[in-house]
Amino acid sequence: MSLIAFLGAVELGLVFAFVAIGVYLAFRILDFPDLTVDGSFPLGAAVAAVLIIAGWNPWLATAVAMVAGAAAGLVTATLNVKFRILNLLASILTMIALFSVNLRVMGRPNVALINQDTMLTPFYGLGLPDFYVRPLFIGVLAILAVFLVWRFLASDLGLAMRATGANPRMARAQGVKTSLHIYLGMALSNALVALGGSLFAQTNGFADVTSGVGTIVVGLAAVIIGETLFHSRLIIWALIGCVVGSVLYRIAIQLALSSDILGLKASDLNLVTAVLVAAALVLPRLRRGRAAA
Amino acid sequence: MKLLTAAAFAALVFAQPALARDVTVDVTAIVEHPALDAVRDGVKDALGEAGFKVGENLTFNYESAQGNPGTAAQIARQFIGNGPDVIVPISTPSAQAVVSGTRDIPVVFSAVTDPVGAQLVKDLKAPGGNVTGLSDLSPIGDHIALIKEILPNVKTVGVLFNPGETNSVTLVELLKTLGAEQGIAVVESPATRSSEVQNAARALAGRVDAIYVPTDNTIVSALESAVAVAVESKLPLFTADTDSVSRGAVAALGFNYYDVGKQTGAIVVRILNGEKPGDIPVNVAAGTDLVINPGAAEKIGLELPKAVVDRATKVIK
Amino acid sequence: MIELSNLSVVFGRGTPLEKQALSGLELKIEAGTFVTVIGSNGAGKSTMLGVLAGDVIPTSGRVVIGGRDVTRIATADRAKYVARVFQDPLTGSCGALTIEENLALAAARGRRRGLGLALGSIRRDEFRDRVAELKLGLENRMHDRMDLLSGGQRQALSLVMATLSGSEVLLLDEHTAALDPGMAEFVMELTQSLVDKHKLTTMMVTHSMRQALDYGSRTVMLHGGKVILDVVGESRKNLTIEDLIEMFRKARGGETLDDDALLVS
Repeated sequence: MSLIAFLGAVELGLVFAFVAIGVYLAFRILDFPDLTVDGSFPLGAAVAAVLIIAGWNPWLATAVAMVAGAAAGLVTATLNVKFRILNLLASILTMIALFSVNLRVMGRPNVALINQDTMLTPFYGLGLPDFYVRPLFIGVLAILAVFLVWRFLASDLGLAMRATGANPRMARAQGVKTSLHIYLGMALSNALVALGGSLFAQTNGFADVTSGVGTIVVGLAAVIIGETLFHSRLIIWALIGCVVGSVLYRIAIQLALSSDILGLKASDLNLVTAVLVAAALVLPRLRRGRAAA
Repeated sequence: MKLLTAAAFAALVFAQPALARDVTVDVTAIVEHPALDAVRDGVKDALGEAGFKVGENLTFNYESAQGNPGTAAQIARQFIGNGPDVIVPISTPSAQAVVSGTRDIPVVFSAVTDPVGAQLVKDLKAPGGNVTGLSDLSPIGDHIALIKEILPNVKTVGVLFNPGETNSVTLVELLKTLGAEQGIAVVESPATRSSEVQNAARALAGRVDAIYVPTDNTIVSALESAVAVAVESKLPLFTADTDSVSRGAVAALGFNYYDVGKQTGAIVVRILNGEKPGDIPVNVAAGTDLVINPGAAEKIGLELPKAVVDRATKVIK
Repeated sequence: MIELSNLSVVFGRGTPLEKQALSGLELKIEAGTFVTVIGSNGAGKSTMLGVLAGDVIPTSGRVVIGGRDVTRIATADRAKYVARVFQDPLTGSCGALTIEENLALAAARGRRRGLGLALGSIRRDEFRDRVAELKLGLENRMHDRMDLLSGGQRQALSLVMATLSGSEVLLLDEHTAALDPGMAEFVMELTQSLVDKHKLTTMMVTHSMRQALDYGSRTVMLHGGKVILDVVGESRKNLTIEDLIEMFRKARGGETLDDDALLVS
């Protein structure tokens, strides 16, 4: 694997680390199987791309993209909490609706950003090659996200959100407005996913409606790989696991792409992903089995 | 002296293979698809005809992103890291992923409908930089002319397309503009996935005189459902993809994507031989095949004009 | 302190499964009173607790706690007045959170939860002291997840949690029923001491006649969604379990009791 390919994998892994953290919040903290992410990822890309082309500051455009993602999460939460639609189904409805919304936002299926100034542009001129700048920049943002999310989950508000997902009846008895926390958690989760989408558009030069395909699987894979690696009950390790898991996932795929020895091609990637996730699910059980024996 | 001349002559004769150092060309497409695969094969054969042969002096890598732009980005980085002599991305997202990742490796894109809109190049005539390629903007004007020739009284044409495919949206807009000039109304019927194609086709029945399918990956992959509806409602189906005619379309005027690949390969060869990509203008692919299916026409009670039959490059029996 | 007036609850109204769980129940409890509640299955004990906690919205009638009409106030919103310990230890505390996180969650009951750290060093020390008072050694396991503890340990901690945020009312829903006899005894002693210490207005539903008479200062028996027996003071002091059963039989018009209707222990 070449250095550029390796750093490229790290960079993409870091972009998807935001997705993984979002998926962790929904699936693990809130216990809300949320497929909205397949729509909020391209939504983040679309909103950021359109605003950047309209001449907005890329940082501001990215912030608005996150707000759009949060709004998507709120729609899913509303369908679930207010209209009592099953959580998974509610998220599928939003995901499908977002396909049309994303097309409306962009006005066409693909918006190019290749010649636009992005959040990264000011850093390209500092002497380092681009393929170093991108993972470094996104890495700093990812560390920041891990810290902020960890700090949030350690606050009174975050604790209430964790209780909402883990034991809603107890949470209500402790004065926690559980529906409020589902709204808040879903907004936060999808804002992070949209941030990932916005960064994807800015580092790869385009926003495309199809770029949401399989986002949820990639996010889940990262969460599970991280959990398997660190198998710690502590939130901070779970969050770091999201980042490391996401990067490892991309490196594994890059290996599959670059190794002629294994004879793997891109068309085998879905299988590689399935094997990775299955392995990550089975390994802890094997380890426990051995410990018990 | 004589010896020297002979040596020089020999050098000239063998110049091609001798100068043709070992080269690497990396090709990627967004998805596996008969048309896109044909482009890839065309590129490979064009290289072979120019003396760059796989197994001898050419390393030819191909990866498909399986329809996932995330994977496309990763393949782009993989290829850029390999540092090949030329990268050939087929389709818009693949091309954008490659172009955004390198400013020095020569890139020759193919099967991109609107290279300027996709920000791959700033100017078709003088691309500059490291990028050039071939556009496959369908000759929509010719398509309309063909439909009018076969159906002189045509008033409305329904178009089946996936609003999620950027190439299709460009083509539909062009179709509406050019159609309006010819007094033909265009009715859009979108399908975002192959399972929706049948319903989208049904929505056109009774409202249009003909159905038209542009080079749209989603619709083409489920063409049989559109054909079934067309036959049932006695509507002629025209396509921009010539392979679709054997699957039941009445007629198609379209690129032979293998030829598109060969034209793309010719640009790659020029770069391998020392030309700068920035100096090579982006051209629209040349040459269209007219393929007709009289059997399909007969099924809906339509007779193809003799002029069309005579002109056809290929007649499906 | 607590006033339940003309309280009726009908479940599944208009369906074949319609059930009148409470019918015109009246009950008034003075501040600081520890009331034990008994009654056969389906008498309405759990429904009454549910109405007090906010889980069940009554079909008619009024619920007043500390002078505030809370009849239509949601569970989470009235949690600041009402603390609760459930029968199932897994319900009352959060297994996925650590001991100190559970305590922090309870300590913030009734307050606005903000972005401040849930566990600062001051709070940590305070929680450790409170847990140390249990003398269960749990003060050294503050970072352990709740689901590593036994049912009895969890119920004891649930009681501590109930007293952290100054609620005036404590609802106990057979909170020792799932414990072994030794642990049940410990939890009851702890209950009594905490109730005394914090002067809580307490309502304890129990299946045990012994508990009903040994703890608290007033005993209420429910049947058919109504209060059928209410004893306090001298008449309660002299009451034996046998008397209680006899009174119960009388109240019901002489019918014999099923074994599982009342637990004599």
